[in-house]
Amino acid sequence: MAQNPYLPHKVKILEIKRQTKIDYTFKLESSIKPDNGQFVEVSLPKIGECPISVSDFGDGWIEMTIRRVGKVTNVLHDLKEGDHMFIRGPYGNGFPLQKYKDKHLVIAAGGTGLAPVKSVVNYFNDRLDLVKQLNLLTGFKSPEDVLFKDELEAWSKDFNVTVTVDQGNKDWTGNVGLITGYVKVMDFPNPEEVEVIVVGPPMMMKFTVQEFLKLGVPEENITVSFERKMCCGLGKCGHCKIDDTYVCLEGPVFNYTKAKELID
Amino acid sequence: MSVHTKKLIKNAYRITRDRDITALRIRVPGGHLPVEYFDIIKEVAQKYGNGTVHITTRQGFEVPGIPMEMVDKVNRLIAPILKGLEKDIGVQVNDEEIGYPAAGTRNVSGCIGNRVCPFANYDTTDLALKLERIIYPNDYHVKIAVSGCPNDCIKAHMQDIGVLGQVEPLYNPDRCISCGACVDNCHKRSTGALTMVNYRVERDEKRCLGCGECVLTCPNSAWTRGSNYYRVVIMGRTGKKNPRIARTFLEWVSEDTVLKVVANMYDYIEKHIDRRLPKEHVGYIVDRTGLNVFKDEVLKEAELDAKAKVAQFIDFGRYFYDRNQM
Amino acid sequence: MGYQMSTVEFNNVISKLLLDYRILAPVCLEGKGTFSGTDLVTYGDIERIQDVVFDRKTVYSAKEAVFPPSETMFYFTEEEFKQPSVDQKGILVFARPCDINAFKRLDAIYLESGPYPDPYYLQLREKLKFVLMECDHGFKNCFCASMGTNETSDFSLLVRSEGDQIFCLINDTGFEDLISESLASNSIRKVDLQPGFVQRNKTRLQIPDKLDNSLFSHPLWQEYASRCTGCGRCNFSCPTCSCFTMQDLFYRDNPSCGERRRVWASCMIEGYTEMAGGQEVRKTQGERMRFKVMHKFSDFKKRFGFHMCVGCGRCDDVCPEYISLPRCVQKLQEIKNGGVR
Repeated sequence: MAQNPYLPHKVKILEIKRQTKIDYTFKLESSIKPDNGQFVEVSLPKIGECPISVSDFGDGWIEMTIRRVGKVTNVLHDLKEGDHMFIRGPYGNGFPLQKYKDKHLVIAAGGTGLAPVKSVVNYFNDRLDLVKQLNLLTGFKSPEDVLFKDELEAWSKDFNVTVTVDQGNKDWTGNVGLITGYVKVMDFPNPEEVEVIVVGPPMMMKFTVQEFLKLGVPEENITVSFERKMCCGLGKCGHCKIDDTYVCLEGPVFNYTKAKELID
Repeated sequence: MSVHTKKLIKNAYRITRDRDITALRIRVPGGHLPVEYFDIIKEVAQKYGNGTVHITTRQGFEVPGIPMEMVDKVNRLIAPILKGLEKDIGVQVNDEEIGYPAAGTRNVSGCIGNRVCPFANYDTTDLALKLERIIYPNDYHVKIAVSGCPNDCIKAHMQDIGVLGQVEPLYNPDRCISCGACVDNCHKRSTGALTMVNYRVERDEKRCLGCGECVLTCPNSAWTRGSNYYRVVIMGRTGKKNPRIARTFLEWVSEDTVLKVVANMYDYIEKHIDRRLPKEHVGYIVDRTGLNVFKDEVLKEAELDAKAKVAQFIDFGRYFYDRNQM
Repeated sequence: MGYQMSTVEFNNVISKLLLDYRILAPVCLEGKGTFSGTDLVTYGDIERIQDVVFDRKTVYSAKEAVFPPSETMFYFTEEEFKQPSVDQKGILVFARPCDINAFKRLDAIYLESGPYPDPYYLQLREKLKFVLMECDHGFKNCFCASMGTNETSDFSLLVRSEGDQIFCLINDTGFEDLISESLASNSIRKVDLQPGFVQRNKTRLQIPDKLDNSLFSHPLWQEYASRCTGCGRCNFSCPTCSCFTMQDLFYRDNPSCGERRRVWASCMIEGYTEMAGGQEVRKTQGERMRFKVMHKFSDFKKRFGFHMCVGCGRCDDVCPEYISLPRCVQKLQEIKNGGVR
């Protein structure tokens, strides 16, 4: 048989960090070199396989932030450091980092949507001179759902970070409200120079993009990332197809000019 | 006028509320007949009856308003029906010119079966004809109906013998794509005998009715039809004393077994009937002898294969009109 | 070169072929139809030419020869992924032009789409050769001529059955020896033979050349939402439907071992777009019907240059709700022409 692209390889779990009750970040020993925003197919033999975006990576490791939502992720959450899982990939297209150079980059991430852009944030945080300005707007359902608390705190020392929750609690002293509210009040003297990344649940993406458009940000300056059912990641299984586009091949990251035409 | 009413009744005519006027019952085994016989029924009704015909609950025709003195003429007129619907299918009819030879054992009724209905598991008309051959002519008062599937549209559960079609569903896991349609449908429509385990369907044979719903539902022919079997329900009845629904006596038996059991039942009646009564229905005989005697005698020489199941005990329930306090 | 011979003589040819090939053809499985007292005409292994059903359309297509409904991808032991071994024999499939043309569609998805050819498909596809079955007249619901899939030159043999005579055209030099060996000893005659192809069907379609998002909100789809029950028969009988879902399982009597397999998926069945967590992007049967129709008559072509549908009409044949895909396309054309509102 020819080289089998469905064959995953075994990777060791170096570190598990509990972000919330249902979101864990797994640091894995791996030599793969993903682009920012790509995904891998994660599997546990005999349990199943699922697509997970790479939330960060470095020399000899990758990191994924996995929410406990189904059969595979339920079992993944029971694994311990030193245990193994299987991966294949990376797949898809990542964020066009070159495009953001010398621009005012605004990243708007809703909930777990922060995971696929985390490496982008880190990339520009490490190279703040590459962009004119960097903003991160990130929203979560409640204070208990906030991801990457340590990173958010560190980032906020270096650039403008807005964290908001849909509904606060008695201990929450931060922002409350939807992301769109914080987009509305942004002021872009030169919207042509603004590049925007929007990642999150479908409704959040839809309305957030609308707000940026209202502020005059051109459609071609907006990048989004899709989440769809994917079995193969190889453009065969068909589940992620929209129009003539396979999200696993041409996405998950799309320019909004393309994304707006993709009606499921 | 002088009429031997017992002979008249045995000839499939009845004593009606109108003096000297009778009505003829025409048997239609399995309730399915070539339309050419309509012409004869029409002629009887127009020439000798009152121009109307009643469709009986047992799927025959009853032609009312016939003067008793016309019976011989009517019998000659219906000879082709006796020939076509009885003699030619193998029923013992010595002289088709003199009308029906018996009326005790009633017409075998049947749902439309697999000639038309997608739910049916077999050709009900065909089985009705085979039963007719075995049980008719006979004076014992027996009611039999055959149903294509456990939906029991023919109400076989109201008969002395009810036959319901079963099919053994065969599962080919290599064609199963785990859509779950069969499991879902079995729970909603039937007994919930199917479960999805490891993306494959498991069938609880104890629960499975053999209704064939899984075969009907499967979009990829992972479920197909195996052999046909029958469920036999017994001693259902209506009446003024103790109406009751029939209960399962046999499950997963072959057609041969059904025919043998029915044939044996007539020997059982012959042996145990209380002749002091004008006509004792078989259900009341079973009430007297108990199920075990019935079981032993009707299963005599009946071949039961490994799949067959026989009821060890039947609880008919206790519904008596005279015990209901209003 | 064409030959005429008796069925007995042709069966000798089949016996020889069976040494090197698994032969699949339309067969009639008695009593295996959905309804009691009905048969199932479908693909199955044959050992003699009399087994082949020439005069009826199969319910399921020839795609099963290389894309089985359920296929094991890996066996798992404690630590290992093991791929199942494959029968070394070639595969010879009796197929009509539409079904042969359907493989071009499957090839596009499995061999061309994405960065890698699909190894499971490829290893069977490489073994596959076709025996052309002609359609002297189209069957009910066929519309191959409208799809341009009524003809093909991609076949090794043509086999025509007339009474007790078999006419066989060899279109692949690899098979010449097979017949010539038998030729010397008996009454096989050389004849002039040309494949005949259907040129017109009763059902004729004009495929709207520009089907775009503007049709997505048309009430047409709502009608299907109320009619379609989402059983997936249209997909499973389709010779070009290629979607699959992967499944992992462990063996109950040995939980440390198990397998990963793929099974056919249906875009018409609930759950096709459902992600972990339960979110589903197409929720109604109307949306699903629209997705399927667009894929078969527009999206696929944009990507690969030809329409996916081959006009076999099986989806129409098998729909329990009497939904006709060609009728839907006709309606789209009427809408484009300003007819249906």
